[in-house]
Amino acid sequence: MTRTLTAALAATTMLTGAAMAQDTMIIGITQNNVGVDSYQTTYEQAFIAAAEANDAVETVVLDAGGDVARQIAQMEDLIQQQVDAIIIWPTNGEAVIPAVRKASQADIPVIVTNSNIAEQGQDFIASFSGPDNITQGQRAAEIMCDKFKADGIETEAKIVQISGQPGYTTAIERAQGFEERLPEVCPDVELMETQPGDWNREKSQQVMEAFLTKYDDIDGVYAGDDNMGVGALNAAKAAGRAGDITFVGATNFAVGYDAMAAGEYWGSIYQSPVDDAEAALQTAIDVLNGEDVPKLNYFDTPKITQDNMQEFDKPVF
Amino acid sequence: MTALTKAGIGGLLARQGILVAFVVFMIVFAIANPRFIDIDNVSGVIRSSAILGVMALGVTFVVIGGNLDLSVGSMMSFSTIVVLDLHDTLGPTLAIPAMFALTLCLGAFIGFLVGYLRLNSLIVTLGMLSAIHGLTLMWSGGQNMDIADKWGTWFGFFGRGSIAGVPVPILMFALAAVVLSLVLSKTPFGRKVYAVGGNGTAATFSGVPRARVVFMTYIISAACVATAGLMQASRSLGSQNTVGQGMELEVLAAVILGGASLLGGSGTIFKTVIGVLILGFIQNGLLLIGLEFYVQYVVTWVIIILAVWLDVAAKRSRLWSPIA
Repeated sequence: MTRTLTAALAATTMLTGAAMAQDTMIIGITQNNVGVDSYQTTYEQAFIAAAEANDAVETVVLDAGGDVARQIAQMEDLIQQQVDAIIIWPTNGEAVIPAVRKASQADIPVIVTNSNIAEQGQDFIASFSGPDNITQGQRAAEIMCDKFKADGIETEAKIVQISGQPGYTTAIERAQGFEERLPEVCPDVELMETQPGDWNREKSQQVMEAFLTKYDDIDGVYAGDDNMGVGALNAAKAAGRAGDITFVGATNFAVGYDAMAAGEYWGSIYQSPVDDAEAALQTAIDVLNGEDVPKLNYFDTPKITQDNMQEFDKPVF
Repeated sequence: MTALTKAGIGGLLARQGILVAFVVFMIVFAIANPRFIDIDNVSGVIRSSAILGVMALGVTFVVIGGNLDLSVGSMMSFSTIVVLDLHDTLGPTLAIPAMFALTLCLGAFIGFLVGYLRLNSLIVTLGMLSAIHGLTLMWSGGQNMDIADKWGTWFGFFGRGSIAGVPVPILMFALAAVVLSLVLSKTPFGRKVYAVGGNGTAATFSGVPRARVVFMTYIISAACVATAGLMQASRSLGSQNTVGQGMELEVLAAVILGGASLLGGSGTIFKTVIGVLILGFIQNGLLLIGLEFYVQYVVTWVIIILAVWLDVAAKRSRLWSPIA
């Protein structure tokens, strides 16, 4: 892929001459793990589509396959190729920092997309473009609380949380936002227990089965994404207790959207991989055009519930 | 301890150390939280373990035959995604045999490489782990696979249905365990698997067709994986591409926990079933106790080591051995 594109770029440069080449921005992207889930797959498609629609941009699209070492090697490749800007979807928020620093020292601006790198790497990046996971967690807490208030059980409700893979920033932030916001809006709601569902529907279903065995009274389930939320819903349906429980996720997936349409799942946060990809590309272009870009460039992730879901298209992932 | 073991229960312990360990864990968890032995919970745990369990039954054949199979997790993702996709294109009646055929082709390919070409099974199946993951992603285009009409299909029977109050996955697991146990212990083929795994060279000189036996163990493993994929797909009627990822190690842990030797030549289906149940109940028991999950990983490991130690100690009739 790299070689083909480089060759194609060289050919374009020869054909159109040096003046033209200076006008074209070459933006390299190294992604986390395309194909591991539908979000990342859709992200890549949207990124390529957005880049093709823009004549001023040429891209070198790479994927690290979830492998930190490969991503660092890809960063070095992109630096060698002297691309104008690098977009990185970090496989690991710590381990990629030396490679990001190297790019920064080579005067290539680095834009981090989707999940931010750790604090000590912030000096080396031009901007972060992505969703704000803490806000997503906070908004999920508000959705849950509003529903409890509507049902009149905000003083006694008991909930459980199924979080993402332990150790991942996204999982930690979505849990953190929820846990901070919930006591502010619904101080009497009790979060009884948190267990990880590892972003996996089947694992989440098993965890929920254990929760249902352990607790006779569960009024709400907060899941780190809808895949896990629907896993929990399936467990509750099998136990005949789904009707008593409010299910809220932190990222809306197609399965969650369908379950909302069926009236079984209450709400989630709408995060579009298309917005994510387009925001990353636009941020890179803005940086290269010398515009003043904020360090943390969040795109909006609105609340979606059974009440307002008709305003949103069904997620493609 | 030594005297007690020698005195009487030693015989039982030596044969069924792992079973004793299992009973001990069950009692400890039940005391910690009485709901652990609630019939709904027990049935739920066995039902969730059934998918891993069916895979472990097949891998038991491979391991007794002296080889490894690390590809079963990826292969299960493949079966699940394929059967879900074909469900909507071919209809469930055709999708199931088509998925079995494709999965058996993968098994045959691995069996050919390990059996007939005599390639190292660790390398072959480790390679297949990622190759099959790639095939799955190519098939699905990286998208989650969901059955469009979840309410109007009978396909959920294998994962969600029940016969006379017993969940179908448990029945399928039990049926597969009984059949494969008979194959392994009562048929000439079963004895050949032990012979090939115990001493391949000797088996060859005794006229056992080593390559064909190894080939067949991988076919059995693939058939089990296809069954597990069917149960998985049927249970959730939709799936991520990574559904089986990492399961190869859990499967192997269950088989080894059951006492099968990684060097081949020993192990039984019954013990593998116990190994599967121990893993399933540990996970559930720790959840019910409400242990913080960072601790759970460590405790799971400690319990597995304890179980293996009890098993080994029972075999040598002493807890500690200076000469191993």
